[in-house]
Amino acid sequence: MTTDTNKFVIPIGPQHPALKEPANFEFWVDGEIVTGASVRLGYVHRGIEKGAEARTWTQNLYLMERICGICSHVHATAYTLGVEKLAGVAAPPRANAIRQLMGELERIHSHMLWLGVAAHEGGFDSLFMYSWRDRETVMDLLEKISGNKVHYSANLLGGVKFDITPELAAEIHKGLDFLEERNKFYLKVITTDETFIGRTRGIGTMTTEKAEFLGAIGPTARASGIARDIRVDAPYLIYDQFPVKVMTHTSGDLHGRFIVRINETFESIRVIREILDHLPGGELTTRVPRRIPAGEAVSRVEAPRGELLYFVASNGSEKPERVKVRTPSLCNWSTVLSLAIGLKLADMPMLLSGIDPCFSCNDRSVGLKSANQDPQIWSWEKLRQYGIEYYR
Amino acid sequence: MSVGTMISDLLRSLFTKPATELYPYVKTPAPLRLRGKLMWDPARCAGCQLCIKDCPSNAIELIVIDKVNKRFIMRYHADRCTYCAQCVESCRFNCLGMSNKDWEMAAVKKQPFEIYYGKEEDIALFMEQAAKPGTDQSCPPE
Ligand code: SF4
Ligand code: SF4
Repeated sequence: MTTDTNKFVIPIGPQHPALKEPANFEFWVDGEIVTGASVRLGYVHRGIEKGAEARTWTQNLYLMERICGICSHVHATAYTLGVEKLAGVAAPPRANAIRQLMGELERIHSHMLWLGVAAHEGGFDSLFMYSWRDRETVMDLLEKISGNKVHYSANLLGGVKFDITPELAAEIHKGLDFLEERNKFYLKVITTDETFIGRTRGIGTMTTEKAEFLGAIGPTARASGIARDIRVDAPYLIYDQFPVKVMTHTSGDLHGRFIVRINETFESIRVIREILDHLPGGELTTRVPRRIPAGEAVSRVEAPRGELLYFVASNGSEKPERVKVRTPSLCNWSTVLSLAIGLKLADMPMLLSGIDPCFSCNDRSVGLKSANQDPQIWSWEKLRQYGIEYYR
Repeated sequence: MSVGTMISDLLRSLFTKPATELYPYVKTPAPLRLRGKLMWDPARCAGCQLCIKDCPSNAIELIVIDKVNKRFIMRYHADRCTYCAQCVESCRFNCLGMSNKDWEMAAVKKQPFEIYYGKEEDIALFMEQAAKPGTDQSCPPE
């Protein structure tokens, strides 16, 4: 950003009591008003993509799940879809239905988590506490289906591990009724509470053109009126049989992002009910060879935060040659940096959480500023060359 | 537009039990499918090692006592296990399963995480051999 030394810079992070995940932000301020912003990421870079090359196709399923604790299922789904595409097998319809069902339950859990975090950043702690209390319902359902609350590990290459029994279906229905009622209440709270509206309406407004220009994706883009959703644009699993409606809002501000996410929760609840009522019969798994035929495949899924893309390359062995992950959080950073300008410093926490950032899936590479001629500092060209050599 | 939209919820909470569970004092039974400690049944194991190949965290080892008579013991490192149940799926002879009762496994030492499964006499034989000086012991006790 600017290098004017007369500017007053407020650094936030990487370790900061108000920010739970490591990222370093610098805000240039003129009094209360932010005049510029920059972000440095990479504090939780874990080398997962490189690690994937040392593990077998099956082992990687669990490594990919651990990219993110909130949307673990969607990572494993994207990876399996890519590998299945390469192997030329298709999972049975029942397996795909269960994958989709788990994915939508995960979306509910992720959006409710976000609702709490965003409310907390705005100082609305009762909404935070209560939405997180109710989130336990969906996490308990996921635990009942899979045996684990966070990393469900429901996917297998070629299918799923867990079936949905009629008793489980009844429990899910019951849980969904409760969640629907609670989310209706939260929608009422965020659309009528004066203090809450005061902190969200008209803050960080992004026009449709700007969202397109900055490459926003997921609910952040949909709140600016861009009807883009992989579940609809390029249906995977069985989203063609059980379609979802794209939820958009035209306001483009923080308030719109709240409304879009809560409406998506309702849409997820609706589609889960539909799947439960028309669950296809048949097998849960199909055989996938241990050696995956050589080739390259791209798979795209809609994670709770936006489009998630996997590129998988095989050289015909038991291990992948390359797994490249593009996660949604990274795509939305530019919107934060650009929208911050002109807002008050006190709005920054809410603006940041408005894109639902996930730092652990963010940190894919490290960029260092080239200041003085320190040999530790690499130019982009050098880093790129190094990357090409390293992965050759 | 109104103020204090959540006040009714807050007031109601004054008269209800806390939402948090009173675990260690009150234990709610774990769900049927909970993925707890891994269990191994030596009777059916064919020694194919598929489970070991697929384990993402190298948490299980099969030690061969007598290959012909199919005498194996399994060393399970519960601290490395990610409780993913891939091994359970990989085993074609249904030797493996995950307990939904045994899941309170916290310990302050590494030792309790090294678990041996198998016939008692086989484990005794293996321990005896391992205790001899000069033999390789990949996971020495603290
Ligand atoms: S549950 Fe997963 S991590 Fe644990 S031993 Fe089995 S395969 Fe390995
Ligand atoms: S996969 Fe089953 S039969 Fe094969 S070694 Fe493992 S436990 Fe034994």
